[in-house]
Amino acid sequence: MGASGRGAGYVATGAILGGFVLSLAAMICWIDAHGVTAGHHSDAADSGHAVLVPPEASETEASKTLETRLVSSAPIVRPVAAADGEHAESHDGGHGAHSQGAHTTTTKVAYFDDWYTLVGLGNLKITIGYYIDALTVVMFCMITLIATCIHFYAMGYMHEELEDVTDHEVTLSNGEHLHRKGRYYRFFQYMSLFCFSMLGIVIAGNIAMTFIFWELVGICSYFLIGFYIERKSASTAANKAFIVNRVGDVGMIIGLMALWGSLGTFSFGGEKNGAGEIVKPGLFEQVRPEEEGYQLQTPEGMEKRAKVMGAEDPAYTGHLLLVVAGLGIFCGCVGKSAQFPLHVWLPDAMEGPTPVSALVHSATMVAAGVFLVGRFYPMFTPEVLLIIAIIGCITLFMAATIAITATDIKRVLAYSTLSQLGYMMFALGVGGWVAGMLHLITHAFFKSLLFMCSGSVIHAVHTNEMPQMGGLRRKMPITAYTMLIGCLAIIGAGVPTIVGLSGYYSKDAILAQALHFGKNNAAWNVMFYVAAGGAAITAFYMFRLWFMTFVGSPREQHRYDHAHESPRVMWMPLAVLAFFAIFIAMPADIENFTNPAASPLVQMLEQGRPDGTGVDFSGQLAAVMMPNEHGSHDEEIHLTAGMIAFGTALSGLLLACCMYWWRLINPAEVRSMFAPIYRFLLNKWWFDELYDKIFIRPTLWFGRCAAGFDRGCIDWLIDHLAVVTRWFTSGFDRWIDQTFVDGLANWIARKTYRVGLWLRKVQTGRLRQYVVFILVGTVAMYLLATFGLTK
Amino acid sequence: MDNPSLWPLTILVFLPAIGSLVLLLLPRENTEIIKRVSLLITVIVFGATVVMALPGISGGPHFSLSADAVSQMQNVFQVNWIPVFDIQYYMGMDGISFPLFVLTAFISMLAMGASWSIKKHVKAYCVLFLILETGMLGVFLALDFFLFFVFWEVMLLPMYFLIGVWGGPRREYAAIKFFLYTMLGGVLMLIAILMLYFNSDLRELSDDQLVAGHVIADAGQAEAWRAGVPSLEKNPDAQQHTFNILALQQLGQHTKQFSGSVFTEGGKSIQWWAFVLLFIGFIIKVPSVPVHTWLPDAHVEAPTPISMILAGILLKMGGYGILRICYPICPEAAYDLAWVVCSVGVLSMVYGAFAALAQNDFKRMVAYSSVSHMGYVVLGLGVWSAVEANGFNADYWKMGVNGAMFQMIAHGISSAGMFFLVGVIYDRVHHRDLNKFGGLFAKMPVYGGIAMVIFFAGLGLPGLCGFIGEVLVVLSTWNFSIILAVLSAFVVILTAAYILWAIQRVYLGPEYKGPHPEALTPLTSREWSIAVPLCIFAIVLGVYPQALFNYMSPSINHTVDELVDWQKHQQPSAIAESVDPPDHDGNVETVTSQGKDTLPEKRSLKEDNEESLQLESFGALPAPLQATEAVRERAPPPEETTVVGDQTERG
Repeated sequence: MGASGRGAGYVATGAILGGFVLSLAAMICWIDAHGVTAGHHSDAADSGHAVLVPPEASETEASKTLETRLVSSAPIVRPVAAADGEHAESHDGGHGAHSQGAHTTTTKVAYFDDWYTLVGLGNLKITIGYYIDALTVVMFCMITLIATCIHFYAMGYMHEELEDVTDHEVTLSNGEHLHRKGRYYRFFQYMSLFCFSMLGIVIAGNIAMTFIFWELVGICSYFLIGFYIERKSASTAANKAFIVNRVGDVGMIIGLMALWGSLGTFSFGGEKNGAGEIVKPGLFEQVRPEEEGYQLQTPEGMEKRAKVMGAEDPAYTGHLLLVVAGLGIFCGCVGKSAQFPLHVWLPDAMEGPTPVSALVHSATMVAAGVFLVGRFYPMFTPEVLLIIAIIGCITLFMAATIAITATDIKRVLAYSTLSQLGYMMFALGVGGWVAGMLHLITHAFFKSLLFMCSGSVIHAVHTNEMPQMGGLRRKMPITAYTMLIGCLAIIGAGVPTIVGLSGYYSKDAILAQALHFGKNNAAWNVMFYVAAGGAAITAFYMFRLWFMTFVGSPREQHRYDHAHESPRVMWMPLAVLAFFAIFIAMPADIENFTNPAASPLVQMLEQGRPDGTGVDFSGQLAAVMMPNEHGSHDEEIHLTAGMIAFGTALSGLLLACCMYWWRLINPAEVRSMFAPIYRFLLNKWWFDELYDKIFIRPTLWFGRCAAGFDRGCIDWLIDHLAVVTRWFTSGFDRWIDQTFVDGLANWIARKTYRVGLWLRKVQTGRLRQYVVFILVGTVAMYLLATFGLTK
Repeated sequence: MDNPSLWPLTILVFLPAIGSLVLLLLPRENTEIIKRVSLLITVIVFGATVVMALPGISGGPHFSLSADAVSQMQNVFQVNWIPVFDIQYYMGMDGISFPLFVLTAFISMLAMGASWSIKKHVKAYCVLFLILETGMLGVFLALDFFLFFVFWEVMLLPMYFLIGVWGGPRREYAAIKFFLYTMLGGVLMLIAILMLYFNSDLRELSDDQLVAGHVIADAGQAEAWRAGVPSLEKNPDAQQHTFNILALQQLGQHTKQFSGSVFTEGGKSIQWWAFVLLFIGFIIKVPSVPVHTWLPDAHVEAPTPISMILAGILLKMGGYGILRICYPICPEAAYDLAWVVCSVGVLSMVYGAFAALAQNDFKRMVAYSSVSHMGYVVLGLGVWSAVEANGFNADYWKMGVNGAMFQMIAHGISSAGMFFLVGVIYDRVHHRDLNKFGGLFAKMPVYGGIAMVIFFAGLGLPGLCGFIGEVLVVLSTWNFSIILAVLSAFVVILTAAYILWAIQRVYLGPEYKGPHPEALTPLTSREWSIAVPLCIFAIVLGVYPQALFNYMSPSINHTVDELVDWQKHQQPSAIAESVDPPDHDGNVETVTSQGKDTLPEKRSLKEDNEESLQLESFGALPAPLQATEAVRERAPPPEETTVVGDQTERG
């Protein structure tokens, strides 16, 4: 399409920018109506009257029409009840920003309704709708902002695709490199669709709609990861991403079935009739009814279903169904957010262009899984949450260890993403809803920043391998220092108890909640130490990356010589993101500057906290107690966790300095010292090989068996049946013919012949004898005519 | 003869056959004219069906969407054909048959458009093609069992020749295999038809049921009708046999005529045998594992347009037959064998997907994907989850059947599209080896884009037509059997695997690896105009499925409701023990109102217990059934057992 393809970039970027502006407007409207802080706060107490919230627009034309429909549909605003300290042990630290008791009785503000019905049968309805609360608003702003930055960046990064491209990674059979037309327009087409799908997940009003957009995100990632369709590795990685995601989706489908079969609705908030009254309570309301103080209980439908199944103890089986539903939905999140054991697709997804990696790894796709856990949080029983925490904990540790040995700059970042996603899941699993969501948002900013910086480096030196870089700080200072900000943010750098970069706030919150959880559940205390250790490893590998890339002397001179700072369209987004990576989670109130909970972002998230999750609750099946999140703000816990986080991060950072900056320790020696571990980590714990052996090969083998069974058994049977039938019929036929038909004919012939022979004896030739015959014959005929016939 | 629907519908169905006569008059050399005339005829037929489908067009027969008509048979006409056996020329349409009728006309039109690459004996080809279309259209409209069978067989012979003459290298083997398999199904069906015919007696129907069965036009004529036939009391032997499918449905649901045992006292009932025979006959057509092996061969050898017809329409007749004939006529057997139906469906889904994964022939891969996708249809039709234990809530079952019907239409579009796309490259490079393709996306970008849409529709991607049917079926299965539901959910991985792998091998990659690379030219405008409508339908149905459900759902729900009513009669104990008070009242009302005009009915408990034993021996007994069995065993009213015994003897 040549230079004209540039228009596609402008359209896509303009659309997402428009989306951001609208999201921001929505955020302002929201704050205007509900304030920044949680519902019980005085300036929000009078927000019971309905204030229309403009919708967060997706970047397509359709958003315009959706908007008008939304405006006309007059959303219901549930009244915001005043706080009554039902839970007296409310921890209020004197900030007035939030208190624990408030959330047990305050209904969070949410607008929801349906746009149109996909399928409606009797009482069952699958619809396309929306569910907007503070979390949706925050997510919309985050996604559109980061996507806008990435779109601008991509306009610079993908400029090669405007003209004909020679792909040096693809060698044709005649030994030449592939020469093809640029696909600039297609890239932006996929990007737009990708953002649309992601926004669809965030605004989804029911879990089925989430699933629909979930799959669309999957297919967009398939297209984008496999953007270089000529590269075998890219198309294989794309297939892998989609199929591994589908494995998770199976779990999600099972979860959907469990919900659908017993509750008969997918809607989060409830199904409304034409007049706007709720005719069927939504999932959240069924599991956490308002009259029960939003406490988790087995919904009636599940107990009924358990009775139908013939369960001896319907309450128990019903609860089991709820667990199955929660685990199923979480399975989908495991696939999409690349948690252990379905993490294998994410590192391979680096085959896509770098802006795609930035988008996939920060604001979209992997964020979708964590977001869904956050959205679906009221439905998770403590048992499920415990499993979420364990999975998150394993992931964060495993991925961090693999990141130590990776040399591909994007792969290091990929494993770091895995690890950070593990932190988010872990946080959600130990009861830290706000901590997990906060980390989702802060991570989105600094991870997209890190990816775009790495893309800027790759753009300059045309390689992904860190051993071929070095000293680039002098050539590309903006990239180097924005990346440094990203690295500091991801390790959670800050001055303990005073101030820090965005990661500092989210990681502290996670560790504090983990410690809090560990104190209440001694058996699971180990998870806190794993998470704290993970923080040290994070610091180590991030600074290993930074030092290897930007510090020291160039390892390959010609690559260094060609390196240059990226154009402005690429570094401007870096600066924007760096700004947010520093300040996004910082408290805005100067008086409460040292209190993390005073941050507007935290307060906004607190507003979106699901009803009834702000209190302690225990599991029925497993001995686990989910401590409420506000307990973790306790001075002692918070300080301990903060100090441990600071210490571990610092130790990791120092180790990295020793090995890669000051050169006090030779990495090669360390490598040889721990050779078996190194090999184990370098091979990514042998997951790919393992899966190949236990899943892929047996599946293909079984497929061949099925195909072979068709040809070898069923068709063999049919063919031989046909042969036997033919043989039989032809043989039978011959037998019938020969024995009866031919036999009869032959018999007649034989008899005729015999009769002839016998008759020949009569013919003697003597005249007298003939005369006697004639005479006798005449007399006989006369007698016959006279007596025989006249009777 | 004065029925307004008679002539328009007759002309519509037989227009292709008449067209084939016209073709016979045309000179054989002028192939272009012959093809154009054939295409014109298929376009006219499709245009007529579209006009019928559009709401608000009056004059002539049309498919009414008004509330009172939409769930009923419409445009019905009956003309005596062979009065001695009460065989009628009897057609009509409802929401189950009409969408398939339109689909037939649509796919036939596109397949005719795709027939331009046929070079051999064009005239004979077109004649057979048009006869085939008449057969297919007739099957979906026929309401007389004999007429149905005639159309069914009429369709068979042209198909045999179309595969056997215009097919690939192993065409004769494939054609004879197709013919024998389908013949076997036809024979079984014929036996079942005769069984049902000779055990039917219209006189046992009440007035309302006679009306519902279209035996008489309205209840006022019942007097006259009964006067015309020997009455039941005076001459019990003068049975009024019938081939009328709707009347047979009434007989199956409201009388015990098909409940007598066939061979020995206490053996399997007539309807059990009829169901089994019909079901085998239909799943051969679907096709389900293990009677599916004709399909890969037939598809591989058949020319592209015939593959489109085969996958797009012929397979749907199996599903249509199960829904129209098996279930409503033999509800008792259908209920008892629901787990067989569902197991066959799930087996086909899993097995077909595995087999598709192992194929190296593009067309064979697509053929096995059809086996897998049609498994959803069988599963969806079978999920009889409206049992007394959950208060006869039929919504989930309705969802399954709606999903199955939607899947039939969606599969008609996506599989016809897939075969067409395979045909496009086969026309160019004359091979189908998946390992010898690659890089087609770069060489034929438009074709690649269309292929993505169609293949992803087959994969069941949301926003495209394949998703809705699959998700409805899978979701509805949970309340029938959790094990089957989980198994069916796992199929989505396999589906993704074989489709993505095929896409990777054919469309992606740096270069084309097979012979004739120079022949890979962009799509012609003719190919465009075939592929694009399929894409449009795939997207429209995926984004706004309600457009199709508006036509289908009322009739499907009506059918399911009738079966649920039947079941309530069978299990009246549930009404007394109903858990839900509001439901309770509702149930009693329906039952008493229906109870007036039906004979006292009760299942033979002896039979029940025997069957429940058999069911239990099957390892994974679906949960709802288990509960049902438990309740049945609890309430044995002895006097009613004897009543049933008498009836059985008489039957």
